[in-house]
Amino acid sequence: MPIAVVMPKLGMTMQEGTVIEWPLEVGARVARGDTVLIIESEKAEVEIEATGDGYFRHIYVEPGEVVPCGTVLAALTEAPASDFDAEAFRASESTVAARPVVTAKPSATRAATAAPKAGAPATPAAKKLARSHDLDLDAIAGSGPNGRITREDVEALIEQRAALIGVGDGIRLDAPATGPDAGDGVLLLPGFGTDVSAFARQIPVLAEAYRVRGVNPRGVGLSDAPDSERYDIATAAGDAAALMHEPGHVVGTSLGAAIALELALRHPERVRSLTLIAPLVRAEPRLVAVIEAWCAIARESTPETLATALLPWMFSPAYLADESQRKRTVRGLAQTVARVGVEALHRWQAGILAWSGSREADLERVGVPTLVIAAGDDLLTPRAEAVASAIPGAKSIVVAGAGHAVMLEAPEAVNDAVLGHLSSGRTA
Amino acid sequence: MSRKLSFAAAINEALHIAMQADPDIIVMGEDVAGGGGRADQGIEDAWGGIMGVTRGLIKAFGPERVRDTPISETAILGAAVGAAATGLRPVAELMFMDFIGVSLDPLLNQAAKLRYMFGGKVRVPLTVRTSMGAGARAAAQHSQTLYGMTASIPGLKTVCPSNPADAKGLLLASIRDDNPVIFCEQKTLMFSQGEVPEGDYEIPLGQAATVREGSDVSLVGVGRTVHTAIEAATALAAEGVSAEVIDLRSLSPLDEDAILATLEKTGRLVVVDEATPRCGIASDVAALCVDRGFDFLNAPVKRVTAPHSPVPFSPVLEDAFVPSPARVIDAVRELL
Repeated sequence: MPIAVVMPKLGMTMQEGTVIEWPLEVGARVARGDTVLIIESEKAEVEIEATGDGYFRHIYVEPGEVVPCGTVLAALTEAPASDFDAEAFRASESTVAARPVVTAKPSATRAATAAPKAGAPATPAAKKLARSHDLDLDAIAGSGPNGRITREDVEALIEQRAALIGVGDGIRLDAPATGPDAGDGVLLLPGFGTDVSAFARQIPVLAEAYRVRGVNPRGVGLSDAPDSERYDIATAAGDAAALMHEPGHVVGTSLGAAIALELALRHPERVRSLTLIAPLVRAEPRLVAVIEAWCAIARESTPETLATALLPWMFSPAYLADESQRKRTVRGLAQTVARVGVEALHRWQAGILAWSGSREADLERVGVPTLVIAAGDDLLTPRAEAVASAIPGAKSIVVAGAGHAVMLEAPEAVNDAVLGHLSSGRTA
Repeated sequence: MSRKLSFAAAINEALHIAMQADPDIIVMGEDVAGGGGRADQGIEDAWGGIMGVTRGLIKAFGPERVRDTPISETAILGAAVGAAATGLRPVAELMFMDFIGVSLDPLLNQAAKLRYMFGGKVRVPLTVRTSMGAGARAAAQHSQTLYGMTASIPGLKTVCPSNPADAKGLLLASIRDDNPVIFCEQKTLMFSQGEVPEGDYEIPLGQAATVREGSDVSLVGVGRTVHTAIEAATALAAEGVSAEVIDLRSLSPLDEDAILATLEKTGRLVVVDEATPRCGIASDVAALCVDRGFDFLNAPVKRVTAPHSPVPFSPVLEDAFVPSPARVIDAVRELL
């Protein structure tokens, strides 16, 4: 059964409410309790939770509209691509007379979605727990009133850190896995300055058939950030290999594609298939300059400013034309980039520059089934197709009109191509 | 075995049990006998005080042990302290705690000090029963909650039950305690009903009770505000917030361990007190949390008390004066 998101009645006097924002992309996976909607009622913004699990499927009411309590605003479905008649569902749900009173969730039970803020207030209990686990409070996002870090926030971090996976030399990485335990493994490697959330539009689809493990490399998210001049691509490839207990499929984008390529060259026996999305073997001057700007803005300003500045480089004009989409993307990207510290950015910057150009001659040695997905309007890695033509037997597709962030811009095209490649790799 | 009794009936039962067991116990106060037992004057039973709490005692124990006094709180408590110091075990009634002003010296400088100043050679096994609290439309001079005042005097114990069963057990423990105990009865609770065990049992002074288990926030109350806290906890449960409710039962001695234990469990605490806020039990509990429970705190400690004001006579204002479940819920929301 699809689930309706309705305008809640939050108090006896509330008659109508304003849709302020849909924080999720259509197609996103939703768990019960996730915030799916922000409304305004009686001058207060309130987050509305999903009442069940599903996929965010259809929006009926756009931000800015004022509607009566009980109005059907959006639909969640059980599967991302099942048959679903949006209008019929709206009509059937609208006849439900009595709507339950939805309660805005107290922030204590809210998972912290905000980015960590240095110097945020913390409760004594949170401070003590952080101290006893040797955790840095500046790395924790507060979910309490006024962004206060609570004991629950620290407990969540401890739980997450307990799930980190050792890759040797005492280094532990945050590499969450999802999908069927028995499925073939797919390893996802995100690009510069981002984390596994870059694959948010791919993971739910891939996880239906594969055991998907996203890798937050060194210095990203909860992964360890060992002190170092630079994070070498070769070391990152070693980390990735250590996360693969048996041969599997490897999917990387941008800097992650460089790591994937290095992995295929160093440990071909581990790699059943290789998918390179918007890859590079040499950093073009514009990419070098954008990375310099990225580091500078990260050092001097807020994640929101950084995301705003990155948007024109990463997305196509067609994507950027939609203002609400732009705002939503900035918000999401800001949360992603906030999870990578400035020091880690500099180390990865040094790593990619040191690696740049070192593997051009080795592409012909890549011996695993390879797919290259290039974006037609990619400003940052414009020579992705050349990578494909240099790898023996590599297939390639070009997603016309998409920018560097092709996984977000054209998830269906990317997912179809990746799934096709993985299944052909399975029979090969 | 237990059965339903009113708060007043539970106290009456405790007095009967205590007086039956110990001939040294006497009851004294304004209208506690009410002329009852004067068969020669055609009066069969006593009025038993304004709440009827002592009704029937004079028939059972006679005018020697159940004594009406003049309308002089100084005389009642002065005589009671003297009786206690010289071998009896009196239960004196101070009709309204608001009248404590004229009888403070016997309590403050005699009852509370004798055992200490005479090196333990004198004991003052006195119980002062007194009615207190707002909500009965009794205006500013008959509605105050002054238990914080007596609790601040070393040498006195101060007790305030929230339900009939506790009232019976706490009163039996108070009467048998060899120190002076101020036993506070909230007016609006006097006719509330509750299951009360039969027979003789005591609830130790200084032992709080967990009346509702919870995990997200602790609500600490005493007397009437225990019920305020329970109502708030029930409403919060509907929102998915699990509130624990602690009934202090005694203000002095104070069960510090119970307060710290619930704070350690939930990390968040709201103390609900119908007294005014300056130098009160709410501030005392909050200070304890910060002082000894600092590392348990996962939010500020909130106090929900009456305002710093006399109790209003206007029913509308009096209802606003008394801490309400809504105010407790608001305080909890500030912590989550």
